[in-house]
Amino acid sequence: MATMQNTYPSEYFRVVHPLEDAPEQKCETQGLGPIAMTPGVRISLVVLRGYLILMTLMLVWHVLDMAGVLRKLK
Amino acid sequence: MNPRNASVLELDPKAKPGIVVRRRWQQSLLTFLMVFGPGLIVMEADNDAGAVSTYVQAGGQYGLHLLWILLLLLPITYFVQEMVARLGIATGKGHAAMIYERFGKWWGHFSLFDLLVVNFLTLITEFAAISLALSAMGVSPWIAVPVSAAGLILLVITGSYLRWERTVIVLCLLDLTWFALTAFVHPTWTAVAYNTFVPNLPPGRITGDLIFLIIAIVGTTIAPWQLFFQQSCVAEKRLRFADLKWARLDTLIGATFTVLVAGAMMIVGNYGYQHGIQFQDPAQMAKALAPLAGHFVRNGILLLMVNAAVLGTTAISLASAWAYGEVRGWPHSLHKKIWEAPGFYAVYIACVGLAAGIVLIPHMPLQLVIVSVQVFAGLILPSAIIFLQLLLNDHALLGDEWVNRPWNNWINWTIIFVLFALSLLLAAQVMLPKLFN
Repeated sequence: MATMQNTYPSEYFRVVHPLEDAPEQKCETQGLGPIAMTPGVRISLVVLRGYLILMTLMLVWHVLDMAGVLRKLK
Repeated sequence: MNPRNASVLELDPKAKPGIVVRRRWQQSLLTFLMVFGPGLIVMEADNDAGAVSTYVQAGGQYGLHLLWILLLLLPITYFVQEMVARLGIATGKGHAAMIYERFGKWWGHFSLFDLLVVNFLTLITEFAAISLALSAMGVSPWIAVPVSAAGLILLVITGSYLRWERTVIVLCLLDLTWFALTAFVHPTWTAVAYNTFVPNLPPGRITGDLIFLIIAIVGTTIAPWQLFFQQSCVAEKRLRFADLKWARLDTLIGATFTVLVAGAMMIVGNYGYQHGIQFQDPAQMAKALAPLAGHFVRNGILLLMVNAAVLGTTAISLASAWAYGEVRGWPHSLHKKIWEAPGFYAVYIACVGLAAGIVLIPHMPLQLVIVSVQVFAGLILPSAIIFLQLLLNDHALLGDEWVNRPWNNWINWTIIFVLFALSLLLAAQVMLPKLFN
């Protein structure tokens, strides 16, 4: 902790730089496994996949257009 | 899940590290100064060469009419980056590591690959800006680019995070010079205030160019690398749970400063607009403004363009190096010497060195690079921000204390929806331009 009160006279405080402070225990992922597939998570990932597929199709179209393949097909 | 380090400190000055103060306000101020850094850096580094070009162009084409967009973007950038800071403090890990660990290898590798590509392409534009600006000042690109690259590498290989952070904060504060330039071009302050607080559009019909410039401003202000950078930076600085309120203040100050600097850039661009100066990039504008506004403004714009590119390069390269190290499980820290984290430093040096080398290739297709940046950013930003939002709702990981509150979620889902739509529109315009004609 950066700043904490102590039992000495109340007007004294010690401020410790985060890099000099003792490490604190963080929220760990160990043993948790993948995120729980709640409906919200599932819908978000489906929408994201759909968005990425759409972007990829646009990119393929653009590359084919630049390469002149689409003009030949027409 | 949400442990706090709550040991009572003793007051023997030799017993523990730190500084003893007598007043609570001193304690607060000192703690804030110790925590301060990542929020300012991530925001100000986002005012990189591309951003300078976009904001100055916005002022040069449409005067002060688009200033209100910046005010609108202030809370948006703050809310997004606050989530990043919170997640970084709670987990002590970077964004790439969290995606990899919670969403699996596929999403982890996809995010990493896309981030590395878009970052690298952006780095090329940063070095192109350095070359352009210093060429305008009479320095050969063959000197300017390698010297800048060497300086950027020296900045990180000293094995001290704090040295890097302090140097970069000084570079951020150099952007205060934009305010001096603003004062030099004597804007009408009532018009500035009106256009900042009253949303309006330039006279005439709404054109495709205007819409896409607005999208570009949004895209410039919220960049994908920022999410990865700030979370890794917070983890690198080992910020503690108790530091969250100061990290939030740091982020808010950074967001406000960045938006003010962006506004100053638009005001300088507006000076060109008022004098009918046509320009393609800020270097051209700087040269054209010299006879009207003097050499201070000319040299100021050129040097600030270099500073913006340097800031952008160090932050973006570090975002890549941290992310790569996290996913590969390599040591990845600025606290380590170069031989203690060779992979991490190799990624940073490779990013900087290769981007600088590519810029020196004659007739390099810069336009293709810029278009590719927009396309890849359109892929990575929505996905990175979705993962961020899902992670901030991950009760199993964060417990009830650090997850988003319902009001947080309403705001953030709205922001995500808007960013999705804008990213899709921008990418569609870049890839399927005929659709919009």
